[in-house]
Amino acid sequence: MNRSQRTAAFIASRLASVALTIVGATLLLFLMVRLVPGDFTSVMLGPRATPELRAQITHDMGLDRNMIEQLWLFASRAATGNFGEDVVSRRPILDIVLDVIPNTLALAFSALALALIVGIPIGVIAALKPGSWLDSGLALLSISFITTPTLVVSVILFLIFAIGLHWLPVAGAGEPGDIADRLRHLILPSVALALGWVGYISRLVRAALLDTLAELHVRTMRAYGVSEYRIVGLYALKLALVPVVSILGIGLGDLIGSSVVVEIIFARSGIGSLIFNSIAQRNYPVVQACVVFIVAFYIVANLVVDMINALLDPRISGARR
Amino acid sequence: MRMKLDRRTFLAGSSALAILPYVSFARAADRTNPIIALDADIGNLDPGNRVGTTEGNIIRSVCQTLVRFEPGKTTWTNDAAKEIKQISDTEFVFELNPGQMFTGGFGEMTADDVKYSFDRYINGDKNGKKLAYADDLKALKSVEVTGKYTGKLILKHPSAALWLIGICDASGAILSKKAIEQLGDKIATTLIGSGPMTLKEWRPKEQFVLAANPDYKGPYKAHFEAITGKIIPERKTSFLSYQAKELDFTAFDADQLDTAKGLPDTRVIDIPGIDYTWIGINVQRGDLADLKVRQAIRWAIDVDAIIQGAYSGASSRAKTLLAPGLLGNWADAPLYTRDLAKAKALLVETGKTGLTFTFTCLNDATSLAVAQIAQANLAEVGIMLTINAMDSGAYWALGADDAGKDLELTLIAYTSKFDPSFQTQWFLASQIGLWNWQRWNNPEFDKLHQEGLETLDKAKREEIYIKMQKLLDESASCIWVTHGRHFFVDAAWLKPMFLPNGKDWQFEFFDKA
Repeated sequence: MNRSQRTAAFIASRLASVALTIVGATLLLFLMVRLVPGDFTSVMLGPRATPELRAQITHDMGLDRNMIEQLWLFASRAATGNFGEDVVSRRPILDIVLDVIPNTLALAFSALALALIVGIPIGVIAALKPGSWLDSGLALLSISFITTPTLVVSVILFLIFAIGLHWLPVAGAGEPGDIADRLRHLILPSVALALGWVGYISRLVRAALLDTLAELHVRTMRAYGVSEYRIVGLYALKLALVPVVSILGIGLGDLIGSSVVVEIIFARSGIGSLIFNSIAQRNYPVVQACVVFIVAFYIVANLVVDMINALLDPRISGARR
Repeated sequence: MRMKLDRRTFLAGSSALAILPYVSFARAADRTNPIIALDADIGNLDPGNRVGTTEGNIIRSVCQTLVRFEPGKTTWTNDAAKEIKQISDTEFVFELNPGQMFTGGFGEMTADDVKYSFDRYINGDKNGKKLAYADDLKALKSVEVTGKYTGKLILKHPSAALWLIGICDASGAILSKKAIEQLGDKIATTLIGSGPMTLKEWRPKEQFVLAANPDYKGPYKAHFEAITGKIIPERKTSFLSYQAKELDFTAFDADQLDTAKGLPDTRVIDIPGIDYTWIGINVQRGDLADLKVRQAIRWAIDVDAIIQGAYSGASSRAKTLLAPGLLGNWADAPLYTRDLAKAKALLVETGKTGLTFTFTCLNDATSLAVAQIAQANLAEVGIMLTINAMDSGAYWALGADDAGKDLELTLIAYTSKFDPSFQTQWFLASQIGLWNWQRWNNPEFDKLHQEGLETLDKAKREEIYIKMQKLLDESASCIWVTHGRHFFVDAAWLKPMFLPNGKDWQFEFFDKA
């Protein structure tokens, strides 16, 4: 097998495992949400939920069928992108989910970008001066970022920048079509969400870069008089970023999960807050549709990360020989 | 294309970012139409299948009803109706104003539209399915059309509640028959009305915009060109947004009262609620079936401490089911101030010791604080409480069928309407296994409830509802906690308007101060 054949085989096997994982995770979550006690009609209508209405809505949601039938109905519809109709608003569930996904993706990607833009330089600076006061200070800063809950960061940020300085808005995602307004609404939530990952990435980059800088080929380059800037910027950092790329997939998943808190605090519509509210209301069809999207996104993100790693380091795809 | 980040680009970008905040700041200062916060999104705009107060408030401002609540009052005057005449205890004739046009080109309102709108509550929707709010017009037997603009409402029995709960409220919204037939299921997301405002825009989970309806022919023209409602489920966030001048009006929690009072250019509005929160005791459950045990619990629980500890002292204490201001409020209801000696004496009389019960409540901070205070209070008389806190999904399903048999003490909060019959209905024997979580069964109470529904004389009704509350009091099945309180902040230039419960907002009457 030549290299391109090995890469193709690697991609094919990863795609197959992705499909299996999506199906497995979705089925598992389908069963799990049904173990949660509670009743949608009672939550939505309170004392107006008469037995007649309960039966009617349970029927509309398909919850009066047996589990196998429900599962089959859900799986067969989901395979064609049809998640049914929301029993409250009568809107297609797919539309409800697609309405909010761009907001969550914008939030997660901007937070990730911010974490990389800030976290990598911090890690590099710390690695260049190991054991110094600067290194200790940056370590303290990074650990503080990691350990401060997103909730606390969010509150502090909007107390300072929205209430105190009146610079940035607190709530919502901004006017559609007004890019400046959307960006302004994105700044505080992104920073709140990114801060923990700034800490993670900086620590990871520092450790990886220190390892790389201690390797023989770096010593050889130094011996040949290559400047420290070239060594770090062109060679060592590239190698040190491999573990960072590896955690990006997990990072994106984590950011989407953490976005629940941020979306609720900043009153942004998004998939996190949609899931949260739908679970509270026991609106299972909406929860299931959201879960399918998140699982698919998470797995695809990890697949992309694997591909990038395989391209960066051919040993990863070649290890299957 | 490759992007180059040179010094000039960096400076230009930084300057743009620095200016960005001020763009928004200027916008906030220049507003002429209000932006307000609502804690729930629109769920379903079909008046008969609405799910929350947000839709109710929108429907009342977008649709016409035969008669409309006056600003801030529960009295009403004609809106879509030119005239309504009572011709017997169970018959009313009405005549509509001509020329009242539905939006979206659905034509003029006629008596056929009134019949069609109300028949949905009697017969169900196009598929025969019962509407969620069908009981609001339960007393209505039929609607007869006698002319293009005239018709007759025929009731099953005399009913004072029908107007207050049904016809004046969102359930009484007159819809366009043509629009409903054409829209089908889309009526859940499309509201066609003929009222003072129109639903100009709705971005689910984000905001809606109500605009003044230029074609409205009734007497209540909207004062603002537009009102924007932002969906902000967290009160703390909406209060902070108000402080950041992004909003002109929002509700806030009692614990923020001092902060609210110190805000510049702000009016703080404080409206006593009419809802009711109580600790319900299951009278069919084990040792709780003993009246003296229930009475002992009532004497042992310190409701005043609950008001201070769980409600920040901002809500007043409830003495009975019906709040002050409502017809049938029992002003002389006994106030059970904590008396440990009486509680202990009652327990001695029962001969029961080592009592342990479960206290079930929602898992929010206020409910948990109530539960913990009750737990500490009852421990002092030797009753041990286990707290079972759960999320709303599980909690609201608790009373259904046989599951309710296992409930012991439960903290319950129900919303109210302006007619007392709406509140008393949940304590009927027929509600056991549904929403009567005390499982209290009193035939006299049930009989009085029916009498109250069918009596038109105000003084007699008052007497009936007081008698019903006395029966509830004798049962010691309910420990009344509070009727709640609503707090709002609004920009000094804005004058919002609510019905006296503080929850039903009248967007059509929002005005400049």
